[in-house]
Amino acid sequence: MSKKTQEELDRWSKEVKRGAVTLAILALLSRRRAYGYEAVKLLDEKMSFLALEQGTVYPLLRRLEKRELLVSEWDYDDPQKPKKYYAVTKEGLMALGAMTQAWSDLSREMRDVIMEVE
Amino acid sequence: MSSNDPLELIDQYIDRVRVYLPLDSEDAVVELQTHLIEEAERIGGGTMTAGSVMMAIERMGDPKRVAHEYAGSGEKVGPVPAEYVNPLSRMLIVIVGVALALIVGFTMVGGSLSQLAGIENWPFSIPLMLAINLTIFIVIIGGISLLDRSKPLTEKTILESIFGIGVEGFKPKSRFDAGGDLIMGIFWGYFLMLPVVVQLYTAEFLSVALYVVVFLFLGAIRGALFYIGGENNFNLAVEGIISAVWIVLAVSLIQVGWPIHSVYVFNLGEWQIVNLVGFFTEYSIPFLPFEWIWTFIMFVTIAIAVWRIIVSSMKISMHVRAGRGVWWQGNWGKRRRLRAPFWKRVIGDQKPAQDGTIYHDGYRDSQEST
Repeated sequence: MSKKTQEELDRWSKEVKRGAVTLAILALLSRRRAYGYEAVKLLDEKMSFLALEQGTVYPLLRRLEKRELLVSEWDYDDPQKPKKYYAVTKEGLMALGAMTQAWSDLSREMRDVIMEVE
Repeated sequence: MSSNDPLELIDQYIDRVRVYLPLDSEDAVVELQTHLIEEAERIGGGTMTAGSVMMAIERMGDPKRVAHEYAGSGEKVGPVPAEYVNPLSRMLIVIVGVALALIVGFTMVGGSLSQLAGIENWPFSIPLMLAINLTIFIVIIGGISLLDRSKPLTEKTILESIFGIGVEGFKPKSRFDAGGDLIMGIFWGYFLMLPVVVQLYTAEFLSVALYVVVFLFLGAIRGALFYIGGENNFNLAVEGIISAVWIVLAVSLIQVGWPIHSVYVFNLGEWQIVNLVGFFTEYSIPFLPFEWIWTFIMFVTIAIAVWRIIVSSMKISMHVRAGRGVWWQGNWGKRRRLRAPFWKRVIGDQKPAQDGTIYHDGYRDSQEST
């Protein structure tokens, strides 16, 4: 791959990731609640393309909480490691449903367009 | 100097991040701390070591960058670069807050503003002088700090130590301290009501002693609330109100003056009551320091109360802006240890001393010599 192609891929990947990461986090947390570190590791495990680091995940969790798509609760069972658990709210689930639908439509249409090109 | 205690290394690193974070970032700080502990445990295969902590910290990266990822990079304000807006704002708040607390305290204990000889344009000159001197200091230290760029990630640079001024003052109350407030409030409230103590009071103090006792019990309730709920708007409001109550009560206490006329002295195998003024007169001590001591105590407590009102009001407004309600399970701060705990000093630290530089893979310089 040429340097120019790599640069274009990097730029495009960044743009795709920006849109996908909210959907990925909402989808993950809709199945079960998780605390920050857990969410970072789960996303890292399941979404290698996104290559999410804590510097992206934590601020996003806070923004989604502020937008009332997520709700958080502190767990002090281990006083050395208090855990802030995030779960999806009703609004979050509705947003997730709409996003999932849009993502499916986009994927299908993109696949069709790409197939035509190929 | 960097410690080899894993938790202390994390604390030191978190303190560096905190310098660049806005005041209302306690949640982010605790999340970061938990993240580092878990990551260090994962790296260490379930055990956290100094080496695994250093690796986790290096993976997290430069404290300034981490803080800006969490809090957003903010905007440049005048000549101040965006990354230094938070620490400088905090320092400015601290300077103004401390000056205000001192001014109120000084004025309330009856200090005349003209008594501050040689200071013109009081009270505005004090914060201004502090700010000017601090600015000069920062410029000098900024130059010096270029020399300590090679310090490990856990160690604060000199500049960060300066920018960190006031961080402690805004940390939430630790659970230990909250418990201490509860126990000491009950203890002193009860102690001040004991007949053997009451008989030492001056007639003037006796007339207001009950209010002091009620105030101490209110302090105990505040301690209990912080112990249970950590820092939230309800508890901060209680803290602010109690501090305001103290300032009102202090007005009477200043008028009342030194509260006891006698003290207990153990002499010839029994407790005797000795009159304080009588003692000073008998031994021809010309200076009676009691009113000075009382004035100083009142000055300090009023200044602390004003500072608490300032901090509580600021934190409440920040929490309200963040859309939080009245009560939630808030965080507790960590109790700062300025020295090793008493039991460690008595029995000695059982852990062998670990000298030498720690590298990112957990390797130490000292291992080379063995």
